[in-house]
Amino acid sequence: MEATRQIYWNMGHGVVIPMYILAFAAFGVLAWGFWQRLPIWRQGKALDRFDHYDERVKRMISEVFGQAKVFRVTEGGVFHSIFFWSFLILFAGTMLVMFQADFFTPVLKVNLLSGEFYKAFSLVLDIAGILAIVMLAGLFIRRFVTRPDGLEIVRDDYIVLQLLFAILITGFLIEGARMAATELQQNPALARFSPGGLLAGQLFTTLTPGTLLVTHKILWWLHFVLVLGFFCAVPYTKLRHILTTSANAFLAPFEAKGSIATINMEDDTVEQFGTATISDLSWKDIFDADACTSCKRCQERCPAYTTDKPLSPMKLIKQIGELAEGNPTGSLSETISQDAIWACTTCRACQDICPANIEHVNKILEMRRNLTLMEGAFPGDEVKTAVNNIEVNGNPFGLAFAARGDWAEGLQISVMEQDSDVDILYFVGCYASFDKRNQAIARNFITICNAAGVKVGILGKEEKCCGEPVRKLGNEYLYQMTAAENIELIKTYNVRKIVTTCPHCFNTLARDYKDLGLDIPVEHYTTYINTLLENNKLNLTPETFRYTYHDSCYLGRYMDIIEQPRSILTRAGGSITEMDKSGYDSFCCSAGGGRIIAEEKLGSKISEARIKMATDTGAPLLVSNCPFCMTMFEDGIKTGGAEDVLRVRDLAEIVAERIVA
Amino acid sequence: MKLLVCIKQVPDLESRFKPDATGTWFSETDLAFRMNEYDEYAVEQAVRLREQLGDSCELTVLSIGPDRVVEAIKKALAMGCDNAAHIQDNAASSKDPWQIAATIAAYAKDKGFDIIFTGMQSQDRGSAQVGVTVAELLGIACTTTIVGFACDSGTITAKRELEGGIKGVVKLKTPALVTCQLGLNVPRYPTLPNIMKAKKKEIIAIPVGDLLKEEALAITASFHPPAKKGGGIVLEGDVADLVEKVIAILKDKTAVLR
Repeated sequence: MEATRQIYWNMGHGVVIPMYILAFAAFGVLAWGFWQRLPIWRQGKALDRFDHYDERVKRMISEVFGQAKVFRVTEGGVFHSIFFWSFLILFAGTMLVMFQADFFTPVLKVNLLSGEFYKAFSLVLDIAGILAIVMLAGLFIRRFVTRPDGLEIVRDDYIVLQLLFAILITGFLIEGARMAATELQQNPALARFSPGGLLAGQLFTTLTPGTLLVTHKILWWLHFVLVLGFFCAVPYTKLRHILTTSANAFLAPFEAKGSIATINMEDDTVEQFGTATISDLSWKDIFDADACTSCKRCQERCPAYTTDKPLSPMKLIKQIGELAEGNPTGSLSETISQDAIWACTTCRACQDICPANIEHVNKILEMRRNLTLMEGAFPGDEVKTAVNNIEVNGNPFGLAFAARGDWAEGLQISVMEQDSDVDILYFVGCYASFDKRNQAIARNFITICNAAGVKVGILGKEEKCCGEPVRKLGNEYLYQMTAAENIELIKTYNVRKIVTTCPHCFNTLARDYKDLGLDIPVEHYTTYINTLLENNKLNLTPETFRYTYHDSCYLGRYMDIIEQPRSILTRAGGSITEMDKSGYDSFCCSAGGGRIIAEEKLGSKISEARIKMATDTGAPLLVSNCPFCMTMFEDGIKTGGAEDVLRVRDLAEIVAERIVA
Repeated sequence: MKLLVCIKQVPDLESRFKPDATGTWFSETDLAFRMNEYDEYAVEQAVRLREQLGDSCELTVLSIGPDRVVEAIKKALAMGCDNAAHIQDNAASSKDPWQIAATIAAYAKDKGFDIIFTGMQSQDRGSAQVGVTVAELLGIACTTTIVGFACDSGTITAKRELEGGIKGVVKLKTPALVTCQLGLNVPRYPTLPNIMKAKKKEIIAIPVGDLLKEEALAITASFHPPAKKGGGIVLEGDVADLVEKVIAILKDKTAVLR
C-alpha cells in the first residue's frame, strides 16, 4: 500500500473556499492590528533604519532562525528556541500540505507527499509536535510554577500558552481520529511514522465509524478556528513579538556600539535638546516597546536594579510604550522618574543581552540631555560642582589645570609642547593625571613603554578631560567644548597614534571624537601592550599569581576587548579564576555613565556587590583595566570589608613588575 | 524696574599663584578664571527678581577687566541677564577698590538703577569695599552680606548674616544696593537654549578711561607668598624605612630622643 494520505479526508474539497476566506479574514485582522499601531510608532522622529539593506536582511534571518540571542541565556532560552524551531517545522509542514492540496495536485498533477518522503514528513512533523508540546510544558511550568525572579504573569501569558497548547493538542487529535479511521488497522506499518497520531488514535478506537467521522470534523474545525485565533491574537498579545522582535533584528543600529548622536550646536533653530516627551524620541524608540517580550534579562543584569535603585531597563521600555499609547504629551522624566534616569551607569548589560535588539542606553542618554540641557538639572550638588570644575580647570576634581602633568615629573617622557616627535601620544585622562592611586597606572604604563623602546608624549597641562562623564550625564554642550579644544590641540601635533589607559577616554577618542573631526588611530593600553608582547618588543619574566579579572564595560561590552588582557596576564604568569559574570556578561563597577562624579545615594553599593563576586572566586587579587573601576574597587574593598582577602591592581602594574630588564 | 549686577572674574583658587614681574600682583600664567563665587549669588538673585517682575524689568550685568572677563559676562547672560556692559581695563587688577567703585558709580549714576546687586567680596582681593562704596557714591541705601532677599513694591526685605551666627533682617526702600553672601541661593546652571540666546545679547564695551577719573587711594606695595614657617611631611614606603625616617626626624627636629 502506498505511503500517503488523503488531504481533506472526511472534510471534502468543499471546505477549501470557506477555509481560505476565513484564513484571509484572520490575516486581515492581523494586518489591521498592526496598522493601528502605525500612528503610535509614527509619533516619533524620523530615523533611517533601512540602509545596509542586504546586511540587515541577513542579520534578521540569522537572528530569527538561528535563535542565538535567545539561546544565549539557557534558562528559558532553550525552551523557547526548541519550541520555535518545532513550531516552525509544523508551520512549514502545514504550508507544504497547502501547496500540495491546492497547487501540486490540481496544477502540477504530482504528489510530493507520498512514499519515503511522506514517511519522513510524517515522522518529522510528529516529532516536532511532540517537542513543541514538551517545550511548551516547560515554559508553562517556568511561568506558573518555578517562576524565576522578575518574571511577570500578565493576561497574555494565559491566552498565549492556552492557545498554543490547544492548537498542538487538537492537531494530534485530528491526526489520531484520521488514523483511527484510515491507518491504524489498514496500514499499521505507515502508522508507525506518526507516533503522536498513533498515540492519539487510541482514544478513538472504540468509537463507531459514524461518530468518529463527526468527531473528526468537529476537531478539524476546532483546530482551524484555534489557528485563526492565533493569527488574530498576534497584534493584540505578546505574540506580536513574532513580528516586532524579528523586525528589530532588521532595524537594530549599524553604527559602532556606543555611538551617540552628536548634536549640531551651530543649528540655532533647534528648540528642544534631548527627549522630554514621546515626540522627541525616534519611531524606533517607540517601536522598541512593542518588540519587548518582558523576558526581564535586562533587568536582572542591570547593576542599578540589582542594587535596589529605582531603575529597571525593562520597566523603562514599557513606560515609554504606555506613554506613547496613552499619554503622548506626558513627561518622560516624571513618568520614569529622574532618580531612575540618573541611576544608569550606561554599562550596556541590558542592551547586550536583549534578544529583541532594544536600545536602552541611548534613550536614557537622550532623557538626560533633556534634563541637563533644558532644565539645568544634576543628579546631585556634587555633580554640579564637578561639572563646574571641568568647565574651569578641565578636570572634575577642580585641581589646577597646570598641575595635570606633574605626575610625570622625573619620568622619561616628552611633553608635546616641547617635543612632539613621539611614537605614541599617551592621553592620560583625569584620574591617572590627578588621582594618587591611579597615577601609579600612568607611571607603570610609562615604565612599560620605556622598556619596549617606545617614545611617549603627553599633552601635560594642555590636556583636558575627554568629556566622557559629562556627555554621559547629558551635557553635550560641555562635552563638545572640551572635546573641540582637545581635538584642535592634538591636530597641531603630528600625532601618529594615541594610547589611553582609560577605557572611557578610549571610547570617546576612538569613536566619539570622529564625529568632531579627529581621525587618528586610538588604542587602549591593553591591546597596545599585547601587540608589544606578541612582537617581542617587550618581554616578561612570568611570576605565578592567582587572580580574577574584571572586564570593564567600556573595554569588554563596548569594544570587544576581552581576550587580550587575559592573554597578557597569562604571559605574566597569572592563573585566572573567572567570576560568574565576566566577559560580555561582566557586572559594572558603578562608575560608568558619569556616575564616577556622582555619589551613590540610593540602594546598596554596586562596587561592594562586584567586590563580593570577586572574593567569591577565592582569588586574592582582582585585576582591572580602568581608572574608574580601580577607584570604585579600592573603595568597595574598604567599605565592603574585604581588605584582608582581596587586593585590586591594574594590569599595567602587574606587567611593569615582570619586565625583563 | 532697572537692575544692575556687578561681577568680577577671578582666578580659580586651586590655581598656582606666583607673583608677577612687578611683584605687586599675581602673574596670570597658568591661571584658570571663573566668576567670583559671591557674584554668582548676586546674579542668581538678580535673575530671580527679573523673572518675578517679568518683561517690565531690565537686568544689566557689568564687569571691569580685560577681554577675558567677557567669558564671565556670557555666563551671567546665559543665566538670565538681559544685556551687559564690559568696562575694558587691561590693568583692572592694579586698581584699588575706590577706583573700581568709582568706575561703577560713574557708569550707573545716570542710568536710574532701582536695585544693584554685588558679591559680598571678591575671592582674590577680598576687600569687601566695592559694593558699599558704590552705594555711598550714588547716595543710595545699602546692606551687606545678605542671605535672604525679597522685594515687594519698592521695598526690599533682606536677611543679613551677622557675626557669631546671628542673622538680622533689614528693610530698604529702593533705589538700593545689596551685597550677597554664601547661603543666599543656589546659582542655576545655564540651560543650552539660554546659552544660545546669550550669544545674541548685547555686550556694550566702554573703555575704562571714559568712566574713571579718580586716583588710587591705596597702593599695593608687594605681592609675595608668606615665608614658610612650618609644614607637614607625609612619609611613604616600607614600614621599616618609615621607622628609620621617623627616628631621624625626631632626632633632628626635636629633643625627644636626646
